[in-house]
Amino acid sequence: MTRTRELQGYAIALALAVLLPFIEGFAFPGLGLAEDFRPIFIFAILGLGLNIIVGYTGLLNLGVAAFMAIGAYSYGILTCDIYPFQLSFWSATAATIVVGALAGVVLGLPAIRLHGDYLAIVTLGFGEIVQDALRNLETITKGTQGINPLPSPRLFGVDFQSGSYLPWYFLLLFILCSVALLVRNLERSRIGRAWIAVREDELAARCMGINPVRAKLLAFSLGASLCSLAGALWASYLGSTGEPGNYDFQVSVIVLCVVMVGGMGSILGVMLGAVVMVGFNSIVLSGLSDLLARQGILSGENVFAVPGNWKYFIFGLALILVTRYRPEGLIPSRVVKIVAPKKAKGA
Amino acid sequence: MSDLLQLENVTVRFGGLTAVDDVTLTVPKGSVHSVIGPNGAGKTTLFNTVTGVYVPSEGHVRFEGRDLGIPFRLRTIALCAFVALATALFAVLAVNVQTIWEQAIIANYIYQQPFPWSKAMGDAFVSLSTLSFYDGGLPLVFGFVVGGAGTYAVWNASRLTPDKVAERGVSRTFQNIRLFQNMSVLHNVLVGMSGKHRTRFLDVLLRLPRYYREERMATADATELLDFVGLKSHSTEKASALCYGDQRRLEIARALASQPRLLLLDEPAAGMNPTESESLVELIARIRDRGVTVMLIEHHMDVVMNISDRVTVLDYGKKIAEGTPLEVRQNPKVIAAYLGVEEE
Repeated sequence: MTRTRELQGYAIALALAVLLPFIEGFAFPGLGLAEDFRPIFIFAILGLGLNIIVGYTGLLNLGVAAFMAIGAYSYGILTCDIYPFQLSFWSATAATIVVGALAGVVLGLPAIRLHGDYLAIVTLGFGEIVQDALRNLETITKGTQGINPLPSPRLFGVDFQSGSYLPWYFLLLFILCSVALLVRNLERSRIGRAWIAVREDELAARCMGINPVRAKLLAFSLGASLCSLAGALWASYLGSTGEPGNYDFQVSVIVLCVVMVGGMGSILGVMLGAVVMVGFNSIVLSGLSDLLARQGILSGENVFAVPGNWKYFIFGLALILVTRYRPEGLIPSRVVKIVAPKKAKGA
Repeated sequence: MSDLLQLENVTVRFGGLTAVDDVTLTVPKGSVHSVIGPNGAGKTTLFNTVTGVYVPSEGHVRFEGRDLGIPFRLRTIALCAFVALATALFAVLAVNVQTIWEQAIIANYIYQQPFPWSKAMGDAFVSLSTLSFYDGGLPLVFGFVVGGAGTYAVWNASRLTPDKVAERGVSRTFQNIRLFQNMSVLHNVLVGMSGKHRTRFLDVLLRLPRYYREERMATADATELLDFVGLKSHSTEKASALCYGDQRRLEIARALASQPRLLLLDEPAAGMNPTESESLVELIARIRDRGVTVMLIEHHMDVVMNISDRVTVLDYGKKIAEGTPLEVRQNPKVIAAYLGVEEE
């Protein structure tokens, strides 16, 4: 994809996203499509975070949900009025990003020296440990209750608790755009080049003066801080952290699907991936459920008749089809084209 | 001419195999020094030792009179101590976080009343200081030992690594081409400049003017290098799209990007036809004229004999001869190593 075409892609995506609520309100009132875009934006931020780790640097991280949980709970503790901190939305969000980055460093420092599958196993374990820790630190995290209610933010004189979904829609869109812009700045710079070089050939990158541990650690902790940000937004938007089980392995896998289906290393691709995967879940499947229920076809008895139960089957199928027929994803990145990584030993 | 690189009794062993056996050699500044020998003689291992991929089992590699690799300094102790303390603190907090939270936060916070911060801090310290040995002392010691020892182990393993050697001014190419295949030709060279970047993370993240200035200068330097090796017109192509000889040239350009004082070329003429290797000889001569000392592993004898100031011959990891190309060519030991000797 050339540069101009890519910029066109960004412009079209942004214009569509900004205009969507108005078009919908004008042409199809009551459809609820734009409303359902809020989780999509949050998953797009998660996807962009994981994209730094998996897409650019080539580290398989299966513990994204853990960083999301850390973000959500930090945000909860910092804002909820059952704790003394009670920070505002922006300062709590900023603090959450820092906490996420620190968590990334703490996990990354010992784990980053592992390669491939071994790192994936460590991050998988980390995901489980964080859930268990949150469940068992009852005095702090309220265990399985989750932290609630979280105050809804009041920004720029707009009350986010009011009936309209528009404030959240535009806030999330704004944050997603800023994140995408900053990630793009990094991608097209010496830092992004170093990440890709480490992924392509670690020894050669080393001999060119790149410290691979430092490059990977930076990627890891930046990815973690973005996931943490997404967690904070998620908690704030729901008004609750939910219980720790909400941040389980399935979330990590969905985010991985978002990145792989959209296109590893491609910002636009990841955002499209979020629209396709999460949108499918929250718009198509739930719409289908409603339709079937209204027609009287859907009954609680037959598990196969509930569209939501087909979710993971369809996700898996999508993943298989994409890796088989379009391994570089829906929108392949400009510089990055994924090929099977070859392991060359020695020089 | 002063000596740029000195190998003193360098021995590299892999288990029972001695790949490089007691090799001593010096490379003067501004020269072209070739290392030749039959396959498996330890030439590439020697290069890997110089660039920090392997650490010599015995002996020293000195570059510009100093050992490659970081010496043990006060900073190392400070680093280990800092990480050890941080880990110890983390361990203690991790074990007792609920107790401290209860005594400092929950005990002091009355719903929607202002929170007495200083009292809470005091209570947190009291809570920390009254911990039993098993809750406080044990994690403290454990964290301190693990953190300190871990940091020292990591530091020790990274004393002599290729990236540090590259920053000192030693650069290399690889026997089997190791370009970043999916990056453009220009970006490959830009990656070679990694050690030279001075902008900070925030400059890059927010695209401050400093970032643009550095990026512009780096691109100009990289384009100049591509011009130097004759690849300027290919700069936007993907590296894997280049033909074989051009990939070799790109590797050289990438290696030169770090402005090395010593360039190690591992079989640059492998797989080249006579015309290509002739132009390679000419390129190496131009590199030498830029003031870069070149060390060369090569099997093409026409390349070696044309360009080298001195030649070292390895066989089974041992240095069997050294001298000018002419001397080496007439050395009976060298002829024996290459062609074998008749049994008497």
